[in-house]
Amino acid sequence: MARTVLVYVEVSDGKIEDHSLELIGKARELATKGGMDVGALVVGHGVRELARELIYRGADEVHVVDDPRLGTYRLLPYTKAVAHVVGATSPEVVLFSATVVGRELAPRVAARLRTGITADCTDVDIGSWTDPLSGRVYENILYQIRPTFGGEIMAAIVTPQHRPQMATVRPGLFPIPQRDETRSGRVVEWSVELDEDSLDSIEVLEVRREMRKVDLKSAKIIVSGGRGAGPKGFELVRELAKLLGGEVGASRAAVDAGWISYDHQVGLTGQTVKPDIYIAVGISGAVQHIVGMKDSKIVIAINKDPEAPIFRVADYGIVGDLFVVLPKLIEKLKQGRLPGGS
Amino acid sequence: MPLNIVVLVKPVVDPKAVVRFRPDGTIDRSAAKLVANPYDKYAVEAALQLRERYGGRVVGLSMAPPQAADALREVLAMGVDEFVLLSDPRLAGSDTLATSYALSAGVRMIERKLGKVDLVVCGIESSDSNTGHIGPEVGEWLGIPSVSYVDTVLDVSEGYVVVKRLIEGGYMKLRVRLPAVLSIAGTSYQPRIPTLRDVLASRRKQITVVGVDDIGVDPSLVGLAGSPTRVVRMWRIEIKRKSKIFTDTDVDALVEKFLEELRKDGITLSR
Repeated sequence: MARTVLVYVEVSDGKIEDHSLELIGKARELATKGGMDVGALVVGHGVRELARELIYRGADEVHVVDDPRLGTYRLLPYTKAVAHVVGATSPEVVLFSATVVGRELAPRVAARLRTGITADCTDVDIGSWTDPLSGRVYENILYQIRPTFGGEIMAAIVTPQHRPQMATVRPGLFPIPQRDETRSGRVVEWSVELDEDSLDSIEVLEVRREMRKVDLKSAKIIVSGGRGAGPKGFELVRELAKLLGGEVGASRAAVDAGWISYDHQVGLTGQTVKPDIYIAVGISGAVQHIVGMKDSKIVIAINKDPEAPIFRVADYGIVGDLFVVLPKLIEKLKQGRLPGGS
Repeated sequence: MPLNIVVLVKPVVDPKAVVRFRPDGTIDRSAAKLVANPYDKYAVEAALQLRERYGGRVVGLSMAPPQAADALREVLAMGVDEFVLLSDPRLAGSDTLATSYALSAGVRMIERKLGKVDLVVCGIESSDSNTGHIGPEVGEWLGIPSVSYVDTVLDVSEGYVVVKRLIEGGYMKLRVRLPAVLSIAGTSYQPRIPTLRDVLASRRKQITVVGVDDIGVDPSLVGLAGSPTRVVRMWRIEIKRKSKIFTDTDVDALVEKFLEELRKDGITLSR
């Protein structure tokens, strides 16, 4: 059996998530480098027909676990399904998207298989590694590259002996591969025995989900408001964004408070953005927000709390009351004193 | 229904401190002050609120060198009843698989002392490693359900816990069988600030230090030997933020200073 890079594919409302397609593209790159095949694993109900699309996007084989009891994501039955297919096919590498689902499901599967896993990688690569203790050389293994210490430090991590080598990879970093209808591949359907015990362990009582209409990914300038802004502050945030020709963003707290719709949310459970300029207004900088904006070229923070963690990831910070600072900033910018202008 | 809750707390290098490297490229943690992982304090707050609502006991569990005990005092001052500190040179170098194994053995040890543990809670991730693996991995080692990104614990009754958990674009309400592991995503549980009286009272609380042999873990499954992953190298990110922070009591001067600096750096504030 060929050595495989397997991608766990997330499906939402019958559609393959973009971040899963990004991973298929990345897996193709790794597979070519390491002489491996690309596998895709899709779990759910009514997901069978997605197999062809995954082949068009670059998968050589698609593993499908299609079961009416798997219609809604639940951790334990999904762990069972993924661990079953991974255990039976012994891939070299398994990649998950670093989403809410991926960051919960992947470590659970890794622990069940007693293998290593690296979280929230910003890149993965294939290379060789010499163990400094034993001198043993490992060829074609997975380099898992990720920020650590709150983003200040990068680390390269390997899993020399255990298989599969597992990682979650941050969404939004790689291009979505072109669709190629001439590609062919193998589809394998699995039926996994799901015990009542794991099916009963978690019951989904309610799902609330808003669809996304605003795309912040291509925005050059984003002005985001947070908990500190309040509904009144958001009027100022919108005014500044409009003045600068930018888009409006928000933290989860602001969305939950109902000041702005989910479309605008930046962060772990929102969008990952990397504009030229990101202006954070009244955002304290919880880790869930920072992961969504820390690749912005220039970060400007306005917050009255000098200790707010957002200042640690900012290029420019204004410590002050946003209700005083923003009107003054808007006034000065309107006077045509745009920096860099004549 | 009184609850027995174990809260996992990681002593971390103070996030405000600058990370230092040793000549061999590893992180120098010796000089740094250790504090409780800020994200775990949300979990501590959640545990304390559950104890206030349902009664019961909140036991802290940490895995760290003995000098980390100081970092645990601040959590005891918040109201945690007692602490178990898992400390053993053989645990050094543990990755998340090995750490979660040792912690799960710690939970089992607490269970032998306290009776059934209903909930294990922890922060969504640590401020130094940022993996978020410990909750789901501890759940797997214990063979019980886990839920990550828990926003609020809504109800505990009849062997189940109902939680609101964050997802992309909204939330899910889940009914989860007990015992369970919950990783608390923060913001809903603002950690309380201990009063001076709390701090004094916490000095009488117990931190029990235990080693690998006390909790019955297989030494081959912890430390470097029990860790599938290896850190090859670490390096400082080159795109350092400029961190030019402006303060001024006069708002006109404040905004002017900021705009002046942008002009100097050649940054245009428009598309």
